[in-house]
Amino acid sequence: MASAPLPISPLAEAAPAQTRARSKARGAWATFVSSRYGLAGLILLLLVVIPAVFAPVFAPADPFALGAKPFLRPGSSGHPLGTDHLGRDVLSQILFGARISLEVGLVAAGIAAVVGIIVGSVSGYFGGWLDVLLSRVTDMFLIIPAFFLIIIVVATLGSGILYVMVVIGLTSWPANARLMRAQVLTLRERTFIHGLTALGESRFRILTRHIIPNGIQPVITNCTLLIAAAVLTEASLSFLGLGDPNKASWGRMIYDGRTSILTAWWPSIFPGVAMVITVLAFYLIGDGLSYVLTPKTRRAGE
Amino acid sequence: MSDALLQLDNLSVAYRTSRGAVQAVQNVTLGVPKGQTVGLVGESGSGKSTVAAAILRLLPNNAGITSGAIRFNGVDLASLSESELSRTWRWRELAMVFQRSLSALSPVHRVGDQLHDVLAMHEPKLTKPERTERIERLLQTVGLPERVLKSYSFELSGGMMQRTMIALGLLCSPPFLIFDEATTALDVITQSQILAEVKRLQKEFDLTAMVISHDVGVINATATTIAVLYAGQLMEVAPRERFFSAPAHPYSKALVASVPRISGTTGRLAGIPGSLPALQDPPPGCRFAPRCPHAMPRCTGAVPPLYQIAPGHTVRCVLYDAFPVAAS
Amino acid sequence: MGSYVGRQLLTIIPTILLSIVLNFALLHAAPGDPARIYAGMDNATESQIAATRKELGLDDPLPVQFGRYVGQLVRGNFGESFAYRRPVLGLIMNRMPATLLLTMTSAVLALVIGTFLGAISARRPNSVGDIGLSLLSYTFFAVPAFWLGLLMILIFSSKLGWLPTSGMRNVRADYTGWRDWLDVTRHMILPTATLTLVQIPIFHRITRASVAEQQREDYVTTFRATGMPEGKIFRRYALRNALLPTVTVFGLNLGYVVTGAALVEIVFAWPGVGRLALDAVYRRDYPLLLGIYLLLAIAVSLAILLTDIVYAMLDPRIRLR
Repeated sequence: MASAPLPISPLAEAAPAQTRARSKARGAWATFVSSRYGLAGLILLLLVVIPAVFAPVFAPADPFALGAKPFLRPGSSGHPLGTDHLGRDVLSQILFGARISLEVGLVAAGIAAVVGIIVGSVSGYFGGWLDVLLSRVTDMFLIIPAFFLIIIVVATLGSGILYVMVVIGLTSWPANARLMRAQVLTLRERTFIHGLTALGESRFRILTRHIIPNGIQPVITNCTLLIAAAVLTEASLSFLGLGDPNKASWGRMIYDGRTSILTAWWPSIFPGVAMVITVLAFYLIGDGLSYVLTPKTRRAGE
Repeated sequence: MSDALLQLDNLSVAYRTSRGAVQAVQNVTLGVPKGQTVGLVGESGSGKSTVAAAILRLLPNNAGITSGAIRFNGVDLASLSESELSRTWRWRELAMVFQRSLSALSPVHRVGDQLHDVLAMHEPKLTKPERTERIERLLQTVGLPERVLKSYSFELSGGMMQRTMIALGLLCSPPFLIFDEATTALDVITQSQILAEVKRLQKEFDLTAMVISHDVGVINATATTIAVLYAGQLMEVAPRERFFSAPAHPYSKALVASVPRISGTTGRLAGIPGSLPALQDPPPGCRFAPRCPHAMPRCTGAVPPLYQIAPGHTVRCVLYDAFPVAAS
Repeated sequence: MGSYVGRQLLTIIPTILLSIVLNFALLHAAPGDPARIYAGMDNATESQIAATRKELGLDDPLPVQFGRYVGQLVRGNFGESFAYRRPVLGLIMNRMPATLLLTMTSAVLALVIGTFLGAISARRPNSVGDIGLSLLSYTFFAVPAFWLGLLMILIFSSKLGWLPTSGMRNVRADYTGWRDWLDVTRHMILPTATLTLVQIPIFHRITRASVAEQQREDYVTTFRATGMPEGKIFRRYALRNALLPTVTVFGLNLGYVVTGAALVEIVFAWPGVGRLALDAVYRRDYPLLLGIYLLLAIAVSLAILLTDIVYAMLDPRIRLR
């Protein structure tokens, strides 16, 4: 007799990553949206990205223009958020500052991702003395206070925005390397990898075509946190006067405004608010991403 | 039925999930007479663990008893308050032996301390030396060395851990014990050792028990009466010998046939084609109908009643409608 | 246990060694001639500079200089500051108590408050209280410590006038004894509050996740079945299991607090190591800067080692495997 179509047992684990990419992506998106935090983060992020991209359109003035009176209060005509000690419009600076923050965040996280993935996967896949050596180096970077290292490097080698981005990236990769290595160690023992090796696939191709794509998810989640951290680090550097003086970054704004903060609070406070919104957005997105990656069995009880 | 120590009356349990309500247990009426052991057998997802959880009210937050009663010595456990249930009934009257797992006990506390804690909670009048004596005697009974008390759970082997869980269950000398997949995580040899141990303990402590397992062999080794659960519906209840010599329900027949035999003529391993229905949207009538080789149109109408085909033997199948309906 | 400590030390030592090498490399990669700086930037003559160079041993080949550097380190000589002309170690140790006061107070306060809030959150997940706390948690995690410090000064010092704006003491009034303590405490409130607020989210989140995870563990069901009240299960068993990750986090967090503390010190003009470091950066006082960095690396490594030991003491699975 005809039996009913095979239903999915409620106890089944989530299927391994072999289903078709497109439907998987759609499913992932639906899950992400169902996570309230992830959705909230995405909305917040758009709040930051759109003004950043369209800054020239939204900004009331050129951020570097010195024309207006200094220390105009927020709400003054033409300057919704006031002006700083040089008469520059605060709102415009914030909008263009968003570009800088996003740039720094993305580039630094990107570098950290690439280096971390390479180090972690090589370390985990090939093992042996290479693994031991790379793990030691990874641990070393994890333990030492990265910020001080960044300060020293920026102080000695230069404070251009490019230096800042690269240095932040080069000090944040260890977490990614650790995550990648853990993933590779697990994936390495999976049956389908053994099968591929038996079929004669080169180790390099196995690593790049099969292991890395399958193990990359926690690294991506971590990278959203790295973007947030990079924004904060760049701001801290600028606040210390070590950032790029030619760029209107949020940290720089706070630095410029801090000596007169008791009389004119707005040049220092508003950039901070912008920073909180941006960093919060990335944290929430990261939360949403990790929700997507949590196996359904763990989420079942919610 | 009236001398049953534990009586499940028309018990139904449902889970609330994001996909709708799941009827995990539907109208199960089952009695465990004093001194007997009822084996509840069914495949994964049949609802047997849900039944066990419902008895001791260990259901997760998204599940609830939707109808029926759980009578222990006449008292409906489902109607008691949480504190009353905990104080008077849990562990003193009914206890459960869980499947041994890595964290069935707290991994960072010593095993002995946890045993002491539970005993002290239920028998506060005992002094520490008295408790220690009781526990050590219990350990001896289940075949555990004294050093288990000072150990942590991860230091014990699977068999030792399972014996510890048995000792924990017997701590307050309850008259009724539920074994929930108690040997599932063990290798075959340890499993048979534990089962022999359980049988001995049942005699020694005059236990009334319910043994829950998906393994027909385990049920065979320990139960006097066998109840078959499929997709939350009770399909058959039979005394042990009759169950294995003359199973009535098509599902029971398939279960018995699927047990591989070492002796006798070689044949093919028989499985049961198909799988459990999705319980958010259960099939109407008999839930086994979609997989049943004898299914008729009648099967998907109303749920068939339990027919009494012999003393102590009931079956829920329209194939036996010539027999009288079993009295509840 | 001893072997465990030994193994952990083996991890720390290479790290510290690598830090030393890194230090040395940066010291010599830095632009600017140390001899010139040391001799006095503006009005040193060439021969004076050459003499200074010889005095500092900068003429010798690099490996010799490295050997000398390590030898000095081992003897506790971290070099001499260009700006202050005094031993680096002494300068740092002078300022260390102030920094420790801020760092440790805020770390411990954050641990206690954050863990408490996290436990509350986890016991009533997804309730109004939990979501409110979680959102606050996320927000404060996103706040830059130095900006929060400025905000605090603005509100509590300037607008409300409750607390002093900066510094560690009222230098004009020369308090002694308990009055001095009170004065320091008054000055300490805002910077400590700032640092604590940005650390609380860390402990809130880890405790919340950890407790929630423990509630799903089998032993909770086991104890429920025995009739143990929920409160007792939580207090006696779940909490102890749940707090283990917190110990690890506390150790790792110390590395970050140090950074945050430096920034907060600068905002509040708190006389600690942070300000010393910043001045050193501005003045390109490399020995001082690198001395601070190295000392920090050692301190953080030791702190993490200590945390690992405490963790091993609490978790028998680590000790006995």
